[in-house]
Amino acid sequence: MALRRKWLAVSGFFAIAALATMLSAYSGASSPSGASPEQPVKFPHPVHVQTLEMNCLYCHASANKSPDPGLPAMGTCMGCHALVGTNLPEIQKLNDYWTKKEPVPWERIHKLPEYVRFPHMRHVDAGVSCQTCHGDVQNMKQVYQQESLNMGWCVSCHVGQSNPPFKARYDCSTCHY
Amino acid sequence: MSANQIRHSRRDTIAVRATINRLIMSTETKNQTIEEKSPVNRRDFLKVIGGGAAVAASVGCSSERVEKLIPYMVSPDNTVPGVSTYYATTCKDCAAGCGVIAETRDGRAIKLEGNPASPVNQGTLCAKGQASLQGLYNPDRYRSPMVRKNGQLVSVTWDEALQLFNQKLGELRSRGVAQNAVFVNQHESGSFPAFLDQWLADFGIQPHISYDSEIDVTAIAAHKKAYGVAWPRYDFKQTKLVVSFNADFMDGWGPTVAHEFDWSEARADINNAPRLVYVGPRRSLTGLNADLWIDCKQGGEVAIARLLAGQGSISNASKVSGVDESRLTAFINEFNAAENRLVLASGRNVNASELLDVVAGINLSNGAVGKSIRTDLALTGYEGVSSPARLRSLVQGMTAGSVPMLFVRNVNPVYTLGHHAGFGAAMEKVPFKVSFSSIMDATSELCDLILPDHHFLEQWGDAQPIAGTVSLQQPTMDPVFDTRATADVLISAGKADVANAGKYTVPDYRTWLVNRFPGGATGITAALPTATVPGQVLARTAKEPEVTPLIGGSVEDTTGDMYLVVYHNPVLGDGRGANKPWLQELPDPVTKICWQTVAEIHPLTAKRMGLKNGDHVQVTTAVGSLTLPVYCYLGIRQDTVAVAAGRGHVNSGRYAKAGYNAFELLPIVESASGSLSFVSTKATISKAVGHAELVTTEGSSRQSQRNIARATTLAAIAAGTNVAHPHTFEGDASHEFLPGMRAPVANDAQGIFGDPDSKKKGQYDPEHWGNQAKRRWAMTIDLARCTGCSACVTACYAENNIPTVGADWQVGQAFPDKTGFGANILRGREMAWLRLERYYEGGEEGGPDFETRFMPMMCQHCGNAPCEPVCPVYATYHAPDGLNVQVYNRCVGTRYCSNNCPYKVRYFNWFGYGEPARKQYAFPEPLHWQLNPDVTVRGKGVMEKCSFCVQRIRESENRAKLEDRPLHPDEFTVACAQACPSRAITFGDAADENWSVTKILKDKRAYHVFEELNTFTAVVYLQKVNHPSPLEVAHAPVAGSTEEHH
Repeated sequence: MALRRKWLAVSGFFAIAALATMLSAYSGASSPSGASPEQPVKFPHPVHVQTLEMNCLYCHASANKSPDPGLPAMGTCMGCHALVGTNLPEIQKLNDYWTKKEPVPWERIHKLPEYVRFPHMRHVDAGVSCQTCHGDVQNMKQVYQQESLNMGWCVSCHVGQSNPPFKARYDCSTCHY
Repeated sequence: MSANQIRHSRRDTIAVRATINRLIMSTETKNQTIEEKSPVNRRDFLKVIGGGAAVAASVGCSSERVEKLIPYMVSPDNTVPGVSTYYATTCKDCAAGCGVIAETRDGRAIKLEGNPASPVNQGTLCAKGQASLQGLYNPDRYRSPMVRKNGQLVSVTWDEALQLFNQKLGELRSRGVAQNAVFVNQHESGSFPAFLDQWLADFGIQPHISYDSEIDVTAIAAHKKAYGVAWPRYDFKQTKLVVSFNADFMDGWGPTVAHEFDWSEARADINNAPRLVYVGPRRSLTGLNADLWIDCKQGGEVAIARLLAGQGSISNASKVSGVDESRLTAFINEFNAAENRLVLASGRNVNASELLDVVAGINLSNGAVGKSIRTDLALTGYEGVSSPARLRSLVQGMTAGSVPMLFVRNVNPVYTLGHHAGFGAAMEKVPFKVSFSSIMDATSELCDLILPDHHFLEQWGDAQPIAGTVSLQQPTMDPVFDTRATADVLISAGKADVANAGKYTVPDYRTWLVNRFPGGATGITAALPTATVPGQVLARTAKEPEVTPLIGGSVEDTTGDMYLVVYHNPVLGDGRGANKPWLQELPDPVTKICWQTVAEIHPLTAKRMGLKNGDHVQVTTAVGSLTLPVYCYLGIRQDTVAVAAGRGHVNSGRYAKAGYNAFELLPIVESASGSLSFVSTKATISKAVGHAELVTTEGSSRQSQRNIARATTLAAIAAGTNVAHPHTFEGDASHEFLPGMRAPVANDAQGIFGDPDSKKKGQYDPEHWGNQAKRRWAMTIDLARCTGCSACVTACYAENNIPTVGADWQVGQAFPDKTGFGANILRGREMAWLRLERYYEGGEEGGPDFETRFMPMMCQHCGNAPCEPVCPVYATYHAPDGLNVQVYNRCVGTRYCSNNCPYKVRYFNWFGYGEPARKQYAFPEPLHWQLNPDVTVRGKGVMEKCSFCVQRIRESENRAKLEDRPLHPDEFTVACAQACPSRAITFGDAADENWSVTKILKDKRAYHVFEELNTFTAVVYLQKVNHPSPLEVAHAPVAGSTEEHH
């Protein structure tokens, strides 16, 4: 019987592996909601956004003019932190990277599959707030993924079912090419 | 645009950005990730799966996927991540000096376009120019300096390499033999040759040899003698009849792009178009574009040219050329009656100098000079090329041991002269050989020191394409490998030399150029956006030493039973393109063969010898022998065999190994001006053992009355009989959804978002808020312009991340009967979204009077597409703006769509060409740096096809929306249309009157392919226009339609 169970397990594995393969292919590999890996430098969005009232575009400078929102260059961080907060341990970590001429290897949180084109600038231009997709980043001590970023979630907004309502093309070739 | 912005150092500022990780992770890789990342071992993992926790496990795995976001250290100036930056520069792959614009994204060049400001190519670019990117990112480039130690080339640091270089230069002088050292450089215009001569003089070395085996030096010598310039510009608009004696001006004879551009402009004016007559033993691409082929025996060209000049008798010319007297008489009568005649001749024959003299005499007496031969617009890139005979004398010198040091830069005479010329053997007698070549080749591999040059896209320079205009060259990105510009290496050697240090005070070649430039740094910065400025580069003053040419005897005196024609492959040139997979996979425009070397013989010759396509024959000349498969070609004389050169390299990289080297058959015989003769011997052809399937992308060369590629005549157009619509489908007016061109579309493609009431159109309503159905993207292709050059095909590969599949290691294992280079092509697995069809009309009996029709064929974006209803998963559907869309992530690979496509334009990913771990991976590092980040790299098991460059459409729409304006008419175009040297392709919005495409759609020659299938295609072809001899037309009955309808 033990043998038989083993074979069941093996065939079960194949069936489920196939299912898993399909799921992982079609889930589009976007990270699940809530994913929040620890970052190499604990960057506090709340301090920068709320306390210092910095605009998102100060660091993510191309979000309103490029498909790519832009990740701040190390030089942008050091523009202030060469002088500000130099006694804080996290800033010292940042400074270590800078002096070694190494970029900080940030953990990616929001990831769309490679077959999806998401032009950030069109969304910013249309007045969609950053928080609509990224959640309340200004309150996140460590950034996590709030929304599923799956296709149904995207489309619900494109067809005007969001609050406040936005309307945009929902033809496949708007995003997939 | 500041000069600074292109000098940022990648190591300091740009890290590889995971945000543009351009590859779809394979499902296989993901599964590996599950196992590697899982803390449980494989056995435990099985148990867990068996226990039913699969979903949790698979979801859990995505969170464990490690992906990093790597920021810049310091942002480069004036660049926006995700938005392209464009740099104007100059192509240096051949001597023409076309202006190019490099599109760069995040610090990498990803696409080359023609520079509209360039007087040579005027915004267009050939296939070779497109493929320069694969030279830049070639996996077989030298990655660092190398030194020969114990017989092997080993990687060293620049310090070590330069120390050795300086030491050897010092020894050269101390031994007093510097004068005998020789530098062979790839011929180029611009300041570098003069700079190099100066440097050589400073070290006591003679002026360099400026070598380019692709250049017709015999023709240049004749041009200089008759017209005073190396290469005049031909204004074909000023002619009514062009006669070409083997002058392949569309495929390799001189500045091909400029010729094609000018030729097509002239032919597009159909009422005043010049007629082209091609005289020679083999129809090249130019020959196939000719309206008449005089199938002249090699060497007989002179007698025919003399007839044109009014000398000699027809009967004698007929005897020498092997052409019927009646054909010759008709041709001569036509020539004598024609106005504004222009005669061109190539220098490839043994007696070419004589031919060129006669031809120049005709042009001078006809008044063509100053009219169709424009010396004021002469292409100066061809000035100053050395006679190839100098390389032969160099071989003698090296063999005699009188050359103490040899320098080579981007030249490969070991290959281009053939093994029998002994260049490689002679190099062994040279004590020290230095190569500056950037990519490995047979010549470099014999050198002792390799100081790899930057690719032209990585360095500063200039060129002189026409008199009075300088085309600047600037780096478009940081160097891919640890290479250095040769000019900078020379400057550093000058600084290190005590006697010369005072002369080399500039830090680098860029400064040297800037100092020479009018206005200095400010001037050059202002000039860079177009890179095309009035001016003159520093000219060479060195006088070419005379070398007595090795003139051969009559071809008739050589042994063999057929005349041998060796020609430069129009795609690979003299072999410099052989390690670029785009060019290997681009079918030869004439034979449609890729990855393979064949012996071309006439079908009747093959029949006589009992041969069929692919049967092996042995081709033997006095100097060499090759066993090649036979390709039966209608456009060659029955007494002639032709073999294309360019393939069959050793030590020149992984892709270049395909095929055989035709130069091995070619004896060293020179014309009076010292140029190697390409038609100089007979060859013995004998049947050999074996058979190889032809690696061809051709389905059939005959249309079998399908009326795919159509042609007409001026008379038929005038009579209104050129286009007939045999079937008219009224369709259901209520389904006439798309504006512009008529097209019924089923609106059920909208899925759950479509209105259940089919009379409501949803997104397909022009009034819908998506605003998408207001447009109808469409394309026109003018077959009267298309020359079949295939630049569009390579442009499409470059723009759309199309994998090449023909390398021998990309073969699958399931059916091992087909192996080697091209095996995947034999199985029909090529991925070319855009292919160039070549159909013959007439000549079924093997006669010379056949017509050729070229036709770019890609997805026709049918309004009523057969592929759409058969897709079970809606992976292919119709977008409201008229695109037939392929959604890769929906596709499950049933291939029903491909089965149902009447145009056969859908391509299936049989292997994971985009997956680095697979042997079929099409982009080995760093070729993948070129991939377009705006286009998905398709995964295994997915169907793909022409998308009408949807990424360009969406990018333009995004830009317009951001600037709060509508799209401007002709604001952008697709990759094939942009590259096309003959401007045959036009793309645009057929629903808007202001786009050019809408006007061209109304042309009297417009038709749809397979109109009778009710597909309502968005690609509209304009019939080719044939120009029969005016004398024939005068005698012919009233011309009717050239089409047959069934």
